[in-house]
Amino acid sequence: MKKTILTTLAAVAISLTSFNASAQKLVSSTTHFKFFSSTPAENIEANNFKTVGTLETTTGEIVFSVPMQSFEFEKALMQEHFNSKKFLDTKTNPKAKLTGKITDISKVNFAKDGSYPVEVAGELTINGVTNPVKEKATIVVNNGKVALSSKLNVTLADYKIAFKAGKPSTNIAKTVEVSVEANY
Amino acid sequence: MTTKKKIFKIVLIVIGVGILIGGGIGFYMFNKPARDVQNTKTDFSYNASEIVNEYLTDAKKANDKYLDENGESKVLEITGLVSEISTDFNSQKVILLKADGDKAGVSCTFTAETNANAENIKIGDQVTIKGVIRSGATYDEDLEMYENVIIEKSDIVAAK
Repeated sequence: MKKTILTTLAAVAISLTSFNASAQKLVSSTTHFKFFSSTPAENIEANNFKTVGTLETTTGEIVFSVPMQSFEFEKALMQEHFNSKKFLDTKTNPKAKLTGKITDISKVNFAKDGSYPVEVAGELTINGVTNPVKEKATIVVNNGKVALSSKLNVTLADYKIAFKAGKPSTNIAKTVEVSVEANY
Repeated sequence: MTTKKKIFKIVLIVIGVGILIGGGIGFYMFNKPARDVQNTKTDFSYNASEIVNEYLTDAKKANDKYLDENGESKVLEITGLVSEISTDFNSQKVILLKADGDKAGVSCTFTAETNANAENIKIGDQVTIKGVIRSGATYDEDLEMYENVIIEKSDIVAAK
């Protein structure tokens, strides 16, 4: 009887260990999301250092949860416009989210230092609107540490973000660049 | 000088002054500096657990209470135990206030100006941190983890 219990316990312990080994989910809270808009009138930049992300090294699944009010602009007025109901309505939708999959994750050897170009396909939700995204990214493995970087081109109209008239409508690009850096 | 000319002159002066004031206000608005959070009155004071639980109970209600439409959200003073200390990509100190057994905590990011005040803080210290709330605590199904309350523009108010 005792033996059976012990065997069962050992079996459970082994299966738990192997489960942990196969599910490698890395978490990153050291991140930098940069929003960059360029028009002949002016360049506008905003930075966000409070995004949290995960990377599943076996399946290639990636997630980023972006707190929108953490985007800091050089000019306070721009930041107010960005947060306002007319633009990103960050009170109603405080977070943007990227969920996706690195489709060629098998190319990355997490045990070997190197820089691995990969493809990400998934969905981006901003302002409560979800659209498919497909972009290139780079995974860097250095001394066991994993980092990811990418650039997303976001067309504002796709996310129902548009100023109808006035200065912001001419000074903000139709498509903005969002660059992503994450240390896991 | 005729009356007509006098009136014309007054009108010109009024218009001129109007343009100057209007332009001045416009210029000020355009270049308005960011809100100085540390010199803004504190709206609410809590323990880390209190604000975390308020968010985990009803995030929508909490967002209504704390977040501002223009991003000038509530200024909070949070007291709690320091459970993690790190540095972000912008060289800003990040202190996580989280009680043992709580599902989430309050992640407080300092600034270039206030980093030095966080220098002597150690894990396990009880501190009070003032800053502006950016988003609340929640369980995220995609991340499969709890996210912390986020406070930025932080500074230490009290430490022991």
